[in-house]
Amino acid sequence: MRVIPAALLLPLILAGCKREARETRLDPPVAEALGGVRVMANGISGQPPMVNAAQGEPYRNNAYQLAQGKRLYEWFNCQGCHADGGGASGPALMNGWWRYGPDAVSIFVTLRDGRPNGMPSFRDRLTTEQMWQLTGYLQNLGATVAATAAPSRNDAMQTRPAENRAPAMGALPVSPDR
Amino acid sequence: MTPAERDLRDAALEATEGAGALERRLERTWRTREGFWGALSTVDHKIIGRRYIVTAFAFLALGGVLAMLMRLQLARPESRFLSADLYNQIFTIHGANMMFLFAVPVAEAMAVYLVPLLVGTRNIAFPRLGAFSYWVYLFGGIMLWVAFILQTGPDVGWFAYVPLSGPQYASGKRADVWAQMITFTEISALAVAVEIVVTVLKQRAPGMSLDRIPIVVWAMLVMAFMIILAMPAVVTGSSVLIMDRLVGTHFFNPAEGGDVLLWQHLFWFFGHPEVYIIFLPSVGMLSTMLPSFVRRPIFGYLALVMSIMAIGVLAFGLWVHHMFTTGLPRLGESFFTASSMAIAVPAGTQIFCWIATIWLGRPVFRVPFLFILAFFFTFVLGGMTGVMVASVPLDTQLHDTYFVVAHFHYVLVGGAVFPLLGAIYYWFPKITGRMMSERIGRWVVGLLFLGFNFTFFPMHILGLQGMPRRIYAYPPELGWGGMNLFVSLCSIALAAGFLLFFVDAVRSARKGPPAGDNPWDASTLEWATTSPPPPYNFARIPVVTSAAPLWDERAALPVASGLSVNRRELLITTMGTATPEVRETSPQNSIWPFWAALATSVMLVWSIFSPWALVWASIPVAITLIGWFWPRGTPEDDA
Repeated sequence: MRVIPAALLLPLILAGCKREARETRLDPPVAEALGGVRVMANGISGQPPMVNAAQGEPYRNNAYQLAQGKRLYEWFNCQGCHADGGGASGPALMNGWWRYGPDAVSIFVTLRDGRPNGMPSFRDRLTTEQMWQLTGYLQNLGATVAATAAPSRNDAMQTRPAENRAPAMGALPVSPDR
Repeated sequence: MTPAERDLRDAALEATEGAGALERRLERTWRTREGFWGALSTVDHKIIGRRYIVTAFAFLALGGVLAMLMRLQLARPESRFLSADLYNQIFTIHGANMMFLFAVPVAEAMAVYLVPLLVGTRNIAFPRLGAFSYWVYLFGGIMLWVAFILQTGPDVGWFAYVPLSGPQYASGKRADVWAQMITFTEISALAVAVEIVVTVLKQRAPGMSLDRIPIVVWAMLVMAFMIILAMPAVVTGSSVLIMDRLVGTHFFNPAEGGDVLLWQHLFWFFGHPEVYIIFLPSVGMLSTMLPSFVRRPIFGYLALVMSIMAIGVLAFGLWVHHMFTTGLPRLGESFFTASSMAIAVPAGTQIFCWIATIWLGRPVFRVPFLFILAFFFTFVLGGMTGVMVASVPLDTQLHDTYFVVAHFHYVLVGGAVFPLLGAIYYWFPKITGRMMSERIGRWVVGLLFLGFNFTFFPMHILGLQGMPRRIYAYPPELGWGGMNLFVSLCSIALAAGFLLFFVDAVRSARKGPPAGDNPWDASTLEWATTSPPPPYNFARIPVVTSAAPLWDERAALPVASGLSVNRRELLITTMGTATPEVRETSPQNSIWPFWAALATSVMLVWSIFSPWALVWASIPVAITLIGWFWPRGTPEDDA
């Protein structure tokens, strides 16, 4: 009779599986569908692709995808304008204040199409999957509560606590333009 | 229990109470209770050792399945059978499983079962620690495999180099699972090592002076000391890695003053001795089995013991040969080349002693002996390639290629697994009371020997052709396809050999012909008792008069008397000459080691996710340890 609770527990455990799954080579139809965002007319917010939810929001809940986003952040020199998230010539990314709103679609569209006053478009430089990885990382960076999945610190000089330590915002003074 | 009852000795028992009274009383004192809780609380080294062996072989089978999956993937170029990610997990878990859940534990397992019998005592020293060790090992193994099922299997290679396993490149919890699995193995190994050292040095039968110890016991002793000296390095390494990953320390972060190579030093300072931790017990088991099959004592006892010790010492001075391509100073490279080659001297001495033993004897070609012969060929070949990769220029070329894969499988499977399987065939009758099949055994040896050599020899050539290890696919243009297909096909023969071995073991355990006390007419003490041995091992502690007691005292083995029969008592003897010193009690069965292991496991698994686990989960650990050591007024507590 002890088998029954154990058997009930098993699907619960298995449900946690996707947190660590790593998709290194997306199926072409899935990659295609990831580009299917429908944006509001003003370019802010909209409907994310259905496939993202169908896959269990991997770009938000999967540490591997977040870490990939973090790498892209460096490789594509996001620091050049945004520094380590604190902001420089570009706005800060971790103070909880988003010019075009905090939802994933806005951030994705910002990356894809660029924004006025200097934000370039990465449409021709990143794949859709990579833009989602970067989007997930940026959301994680600006999170106000600790996430269940997060990348970790880099092997580099540290300018702020690692992402997996705590929500980054609490560790920094609140920005004056907030 | 009155003081008089407590002190009832075995000396004149049969005169006052009749024949069989001694065995009856000892049985009652030393037995393991029936049932579920009895099984969880036993401290009998034979039951724990048996469990340990069976569990280790279960992990061997699981690791073998992973190996076959890898061979299936590599059989064809551009194969899509496994994804890159799954392949990474599979080769890592294959390696980690085989090293940390099979090879080291199985050596300890054999020691837990055999050493007390070989030295003629009634139980291992600190038997509750042995029970604790087994449960920790089991829970650690389960953790690794559950993590694998949940796609959280480590994917950073079995030695988990930083920065690949560090916070930047190994996101998620996979590398932490690896590091904690190491911690589990370390705890269980250190626990067993301490038991072995004390059992060998203080619990030998009277008269078993240092020059009369069976060579396998020497080997286990050296192995135990090596565990004690080597494991702390990797304990440090894996804990520090978890700290880097979990709480943001910078031990391996060069930008903040850490050092990446520190990891490799810490790991290989353990990792290289570990190779000998695996190899020496097999050397010992081989040396102890051999006399039974050539019908003469081992040639060069002193030389063999000295070379085992020399290997044990030298093993700590050559770890850097794993790091020749990291750009170390020239002088360091030369030094470690020399020390790596130096270990061929004691290894060669052993080989010549064994050859001389066989040469001077009259060989009886039974299955364990066939395994020994398979060992000679395979291990010598692996040793040769070892000397090859000890030279820096060649190693620079062959580093991380299939040549290295071939080399270490030759030394580990040829050097450790073949003698181990021979030892299973040899001691199986002692453990179960039944013989394994001679006919199937010959098939097993044949399949394993041919399957192994045809599987792994071509890997040398693949490595020379430049095939790197740990790749999940390769393009057809490189021309590795044909040989990889051959390797994969031959691995089926190897797998069939192992399958046949498992079938034979399971079948013989239930239906094999009864063995009798000493089926091989061997000379060492474990064969002086019944098969399987009673809970108290020996009704009376044997007295040893030579290095081959059962051959030199054929008429009747002299025994010592005077131990209490109403409480668990052992004889403690001096370290050098094994002169009796004192009667010492041995603890009763207890469930607390199980709870302590459970609490420890909860703490270790929890600490993958939060550093606070070390604070909060140490409370249950403390409670279970208090329960463990709480005095209960048993007769054993009085001593």
